[in-house]
Amino acid sequence: MTDEIDLSRLPPPEPYDEARDTAQRKRLMEAWREPPGWKIVTAVNNSYIGKWYLLTSFGFFVFAGILALMIRAQLAVPGNDLFSQQLYNQLFTLHGTAMMFLFAVPIFEAVAIIILPEILGARDLPFPRLSAFGFWCFVIGGIFVCGSIFFGVAPDGGWFMYTPLSSDPAYSGLGTDIWLLGLSFIEVSSIAAAVELIVGVLKSRPPGMRLNLMPLYCWYVLVVAGMILFAFPPLIAGDLLLEMERAFGWAFFDPDRGGDPLLWQHLFWIFGHPEVYIIFLPSIALIATMLPTFAGRPMVGHSWIVLSAVGVAFLSFGLWVHHMFTTGLPEISLSFFSAASEAVAVPTGIQIFCFIATMLVSKVRPSVPMLFAGGALAIFVFGGLTGVMVALVPFDWQAHDSYFIVAHLHYTLIGGMLFPLFAGIHYWYPFVTQKNLNARAGKWSFWLMFGGFNVAFLPMHWTGIMGMPRRVWTYDLSDGWAVLNMVSTIGAFVFAAGFAVLALNVLWPRGKAPLVKRNLWNAGTMEWAAEVPDKPWGVRSIPYIHTRYPLWEQEGLVDQIDRGEWFLPDAEEGKRELIVTDILDARPLFVQRVGGPSFLTLGAAFCLGAVFILATFHLWAITLIFGAGFIGFTLWWLWTGTSLIPEKPEKYAGRGLTLPTYAQGNRSPGWWAVFITMTGDMTAFMGLVFSYFFYWTALPDFLPSSAHLPGFGWLMLGLALLIGAWAMTTAARETLGHGQRGLAMVLLIGALPMGALGIGAWCWSAYSKGLDPTVQSFDAMVWMLILWMGLHLLLNWVMHLYVAARVKFGHCTPEYRADLMNLTLFSHFLALTAVTIFALLALFPLLMGVGP
Amino acid sequence: MRHGSDKQPRHFTAPGDAPRVIDQGSVWILVAAPSIWAAHFLLSYWVAAIWCAKTGPMASLVEPRWIIVALGLICTALIAWLGVIAVRRYGGVFVIFEEITESSERGRDRFIGHVALLLCVLSVVAIGFTVIPGLVFATC
Repeated sequence: MTDEIDLSRLPPPEPYDEARDTAQRKRLMEAWREPPGWKIVTAVNNSYIGKWYLLTSFGFFVFAGILALMIRAQLAVPGNDLFSQQLYNQLFTLHGTAMMFLFAVPIFEAVAIIILPEILGARDLPFPRLSAFGFWCFVIGGIFVCGSIFFGVAPDGGWFMYTPLSSDPAYSGLGTDIWLLGLSFIEVSSIAAAVELIVGVLKSRPPGMRLNLMPLYCWYVLVVAGMILFAFPPLIAGDLLLEMERAFGWAFFDPDRGGDPLLWQHLFWIFGHPEVYIIFLPSIALIATMLPTFAGRPMVGHSWIVLSAVGVAFLSFGLWVHHMFTTGLPEISLSFFSAASEAVAVPTGIQIFCFIATMLVSKVRPSVPMLFAGGALAIFVFGGLTGVMVALVPFDWQAHDSYFIVAHLHYTLIGGMLFPLFAGIHYWYPFVTQKNLNARAGKWSFWLMFGGFNVAFLPMHWTGIMGMPRRVWTYDLSDGWAVLNMVSTIGAFVFAAGFAVLALNVLWPRGKAPLVKRNLWNAGTMEWAAEVPDKPWGVRSIPYIHTRYPLWEQEGLVDQIDRGEWFLPDAEEGKRELIVTDILDARPLFVQRVGGPSFLTLGAAFCLGAVFILATFHLWAITLIFGAGFIGFTLWWLWTGTSLIPEKPEKYAGRGLTLPTYAQGNRSPGWWAVFITMTGDMTAFMGLVFSYFFYWTALPDFLPSSAHLPGFGWLMLGLALLIGAWAMTTAARETLGHGQRGLAMVLLIGALPMGALGIGAWCWSAYSKGLDPTVQSFDAMVWMLILWMGLHLLLNWVMHLYVAARVKFGHCTPEYRADLMNLTLFSHFLALTAVTIFALLALFPLLMGVGP
Repeated sequence: MRHGSDKQPRHFTAPGDAPRVIDQGSVWILVAAPSIWAAHFLLSYWVAAIWCAKTGPMASLVEPRWIIVALGLICTALIAWLGVIAVRRYGGVFVIFEEITESSERGRDRFIGHVALLLCVLSVVAIGFTVIPGLVFATC
């Protein structure tokens, strides 16, 4: 047991004083007000960003849905030529891509950004500007990818963009580059959101909300954001390899040059399968959050649901090869993945049973959200069962790439993700808008969508078994699929009509409609403590939480919050403030000040977007200019908005609690953000390491003779220099801590040439042996690893110069040195990367007996 | 206050000390059991993949079978050991309607123990799933 202040024995609040309350509310309003007029685009508050995120994702959903209707129109009758074959390829590719990358994943982030801070009783997430940056990246990237279809250059290689079709520019035009760069860009925003959400759940909980009291929604968000961190980076690594092959002819996927097209499938599905669960878990989390409300009791088996979320997260990473059952891998390998694919049904089933148990032991109030939730479970269980079928290798051999798979995946995604999301929209609409949705229209939309969905997708199981391949442009009457396809098309349009009703219901202007009453569903979670009408500050004062369902179990809580009796009821300094708490027990650690509206995030997102778009067209010079712009905006943003030395070292937070106003190292959210981002970065790097070993396993003569290996001595020297640079950074942290500012700056700047010499030695080791990345996969892999290190070093140099300047201008001092601590943490990861690359390039060949 | 990254600006620290995440909070136990599953899964996959790649397409799998079984046993033993720790942290009688809602450090600890214990069971089941094909298949 550790020394702990007892939050339940805080001094009583000061007696209520209306004048004080009014003044405090005025100051809070001043601090949290959003910019007026068109300047609203600079807003960063989670309620704005979340709403925009949600609407934008739904915009892309509608776009991809229209593409789906076009696909169905083309398939309605045999021998149809409504759309050209070429356009049809673009339609299905963009449909899948937009639904997965521009709707399913971003909508998780959107919903979490809206409701997570409120469920946590926090004013905002710890990095509001990062959310805004991520959102704008998402908008720019999404428009770029989707817009390509209007110019006839949309990607057309299928949403998983298999090589070698996609790696040879002669077969696949500009569309593949648009896909690769556009999506890499969007992945940046997903990872940004993941970092934000993980740190949010871990560090922004209200005082007292220990891990065992944390709402289930937060567990799911934590788990899913963690999965994003491990699933997306391998795809980024894959994108990098593929784009290097397309743009510069590096030999990764071309069998003639020692490459292997199967590598792409591995990297894609290491991302792609967890992705399915990344989409599914947050939606099921919505059901887990609203179900107790309608059941009127806590969820049965809280720990079991946590188990199931964590268990699914892990097991879902062991399923990727079940997308590759027909690629000719050894049967024993297939069977491992088949077994894991069956095993994942266990934890998935547990949470469904917990839901059912909760409904059984209580009397569930009927409502539109519950209608959608029920429909979701029915459809999802059906899709899950066909999933168990296709997880069996022999069955999959029959059904692979047929409409059976199309049916299966739509049952899981629409049942597991879309319907719960619609349930959530009906549930939280009053929370976001303070108005009620029309329940009648809600029921209509449900039955139209539920019916339309089943009419559309149930027949696909039969068309699939009868041999209709997915992605086929048209078919002949003699194939015998005509009637079923017509039924599917009718169902698809009924489904679309249902969605139109829902969209109208949501977007219907309700200016004059009466406001809803507070906590209208009588829910137990904190987001319903919000005042009606809504206030921009989120929560009037941040309460002490000691139960799982505070609004049910902590009597008078809402009134106490309203009267400002809890923490941070005021904004004396006119700053936006949050309480940062500890990961395990949510003990208050310090008061964090977060950034307000800013153009800098917009500028940074715009420049980064331009970099990715211009790189698609190989306009390198302008790309570089915008790259510099991006760095400029980002540094400006950091310089003026992060790790600011507070005007006073501590402040009174209310109820006898005085908290520091600054934290560094593992108490600060910034340090955790670096740690989490770099974990993701290491995962991408692991994607490259996997590629290296994949080649070694799959290709008998991957390792060349010792004459063509990079020079051992130079590699060794390079490693020594790189480690030296790392040691200097670490030493800078210590020396600054001892007050030697000058020496710290010298060490920081000195690490630059040291690292440059190190990477130079590595380049020489490969160059002097004549390694050419366009000739052999081994050479390409060596250069890729060196390039990876080089790119990170470049980033590291910018950081060194930045921190040195912070020290110089007194923003990073012996006392307040969060910047330098974060830089050191980054350098630790870099050192680990360097050691791993050395092991791959120098030690592994030696071990295999081909060394010098 | 034992690590470099723990140092805060002098004098101004939070009231009360926060437990360290790894050693005092022992949240590592939550990810330990499924990580052992993951390690076992990847190792089995690699052993089989490398074996089949290096010895030919229709090679016999009888020789590496003992590796897969041994891996399964070692990993199960490791998880059992974790399970013992988890039971100690949980410290309760295993009941279906378990609700650990006590607001105390001990409550949090018990909750982590309970979830960890459930994860241990799930991981052992999943390892069992992985071992079965290793016993059944005679050739690649």
